[in-house]
Amino acid sequence: MRSPASPIGRLPEWTRSIRVRYTLLYSAVLFGLAALVVVTLYVILSMTLAGEPVTSAGRGLFCNRFTNACIRVAVVNAQQIEQLVNTETLDKLRDFSLKALGMMFVASLAIGWVIAGRVLAPIERITSVARDIQATDLSRRIELGGPEDELRRLADTFDAMLARLDAAFATQRQFLADASHELRNPLAIIRTNLDVAMADPDADPEDLRQALVVVRRASDRMGHLVDDLLALARGQAPTVQFEPVDLGAVVADASDDLVLQAEGREIVLDRTIVPGVVVSGEPDALKRAVANLLENAVRYSPPGSRVRLAVGSERGRAWVAVSDEGPGIPPEDQPRVFDRFWRADKARSRAEGGTGLGLAIVRQIANAHGGEVQLQSRVGVGSTFTMWLPVAAVEGSSRSRVRSGRSASAELHAPADGGAPSAEGSASEESPTVELGPAAEPERGPAPADGAAPEEATAAEDPRAAPPGDR
Amino acid sequence: MRVLVVEDEADLADAIARGLRREGYAVDVAYDGDAALDKIAVNAYDVVCLDLNLPGTDGMEVCRRVRAAGGPEPGPRVLMLTARDRTDDRVAGLDEGADDYLVKPFEFDELKARVRALLRRDAGRSGALLRVGDLQLDAARHQARRDGRPLALTPKEFALLRYFMSRPGQVLSQEDLLEHVWDEHADPFTNTVRVTVMTLRRKLADVGEGQPIETVVGRGYRLREEL
Repeated sequence: MRSPASPIGRLPEWTRSIRVRYTLLYSAVLFGLAALVVVTLYVILSMTLAGEPVTSAGRGLFCNRFTNACIRVAVVNAQQIEQLVNTETLDKLRDFSLKALGMMFVASLAIGWVIAGRVLAPIERITSVARDIQATDLSRRIELGGPEDELRRLADTFDAMLARLDAAFATQRQFLADASHELRNPLAIIRTNLDVAMADPDADPEDLRQALVVVRRASDRMGHLVDDLLALARGQAPTVQFEPVDLGAVVADASDDLVLQAEGREIVLDRTIVPGVVVSGEPDALKRAVANLLENAVRYSPPGSRVRLAVGSERGRAWVAVSDEGPGIPPEDQPRVFDRFWRADKARSRAEGGTGLGLAIVRQIANAHGGEVQLQSRVGVGSTFTMWLPVAAVEGSSRSRVRSGRSASAELHAPADGGAPSAEGSASEESPTVELGPAAEPERGPAPADGAAPEEATAAEDPRAAPPGDR
Repeated sequence: MRVLVVEDEADLADAIARGLRREGYAVDVAYDGDAALDKIAVNAYDVVCLDLNLPGTDGMEVCRRVRAAGGPEPGPRVLMLTARDRTDDRVAGLDEGADDYLVKPFEFDELKARVRALLRRDAGRSGALLRVGDLQLDAARHQARRDGRPLALTPKEFALLRYFMSRPGQVLSQEDLLEHVWDEHADPFTNTVRVTVMTLRRKLADVGEGQPIETVVGRGYRLREEL
């Protein structure tokens, strides 16, 4: 029930219907207006036709000339007769008006009821459809026909909202189905290996150890998968407070963890890290995104090849670019690389411990930070992933605070042969020209996968095209 | 009985193969759809355990081609193994010609039981217990008896006896036996089939009267339905 403070709450139950209230309002307004007109007419008329009672001016004899019969009659003023007629007319007018008003009141109630019913019928329909729609079946639509009026727009808005909800639920269902599918495979490995090992009464220790190794491997995979699923789920939650983050420091941090893995595969990790590129974001999430891009590059690079990593900013946007000399991604697959559980090479990715979620997480993190990820790739040449992020509004104090922390390590790990920042601030503007040029050059062909604005793509492809001074 | 395990998760495929081999099946493994099709074209499998989600040619396509191949011999029975558990997926799988459907993760005992059930369909029998003459074979318990007396058989001998008992009265050539009881690692030029048949016959003769497995000269062997 409504709170007693609400005026509606004090009204009796039957007035809660808009139809009743609308009818009453319609009727009252109509009645009021009509009454006003009638009263005004009556008052104006009664003022102009002053009615006074007829007074006798005297008595006289009225004689018939032919019969000589005479009768006594009252003699009155003719003007008074006129007034008498006026008074009676006014009385009649009043009586008729009152009756008409009464009838009109009844009629207006009926008409109001009917009109209100007609106006509210679509709303009734919207309500009943909305009530019928369960969260599990969002395929129904209101589909209100008729003219393009307010109610039609309301119904269309509802339909659009339902379509969005339906799509969101479908995505969620698909995600759950994919996730359970991905979790079932390692689970099947674990269970089957245990079943087979346990069913063998005379298994030798070596067989058992082998089974344990396999189980361990499968459970590691499940662990990675659960971590990545959680990262994705967390990314969908409302973001935590962003803070100013030195992108260079984050990238240096992320790549430190990958150095050993890259060395193990005889891959040269070429880093051009410029300090002073500050974005607003969540350091852990950004680090994860960069680490995922790097892991991907290292995973698909042939031994002895080069993985380039560079950070910079231009025109108010910071970028992190990771390029590899791997097999590349064919154009038809490029739109799908950011999809969950999509793998270029399923068996190989799994053997390397990939969950198929890495790039989906990168895209989600970039989007959550108001940025985006682009892919340029050519089969047989390599791939370059570029994450663009908006640069944080520069506040002197926070910037120096951020920079003081980790930029030392960034410079420490920056390659000695090139790309060492000459001057902070302005160096970040020029950095794309320093390092990314050669890496990006082969990928100039295909358009960016996610349909980014052309000038951005050009900027990433060949920053040398524009002299540093003119921006 | 020869089984092909098609599964791209090597850890899973190898475990299934190990478990089924211990049951006396001759098991081959294929890690992708194309390899599976190659092996199916060459070898006569009785059952194919087929994962749906395969690199290259996917499981549905493999199943479709196995069914389309036809030929005089009945093709292998197909048991689909998949992590897709929606009813639509099962219906699609069965409609493509799968004989049975098992959702991952499964109990290995269930897999064994389903493979046995598929093999029984060929033999036209209703239970895990095979009976021919005075011979009894319980595939589920892995026991064979003659005249109620247990036979101590090696897994290969057991598999051989089971194959004979699922086709009583039929003449089975050495090649038939090699194809259905041995896996692809068996060397076709050795006399392993002849030796195993010999030891099996000796063990059968040890516990009962007469020899149920007779030699059909020039053609192979036959399990007599009545002694």
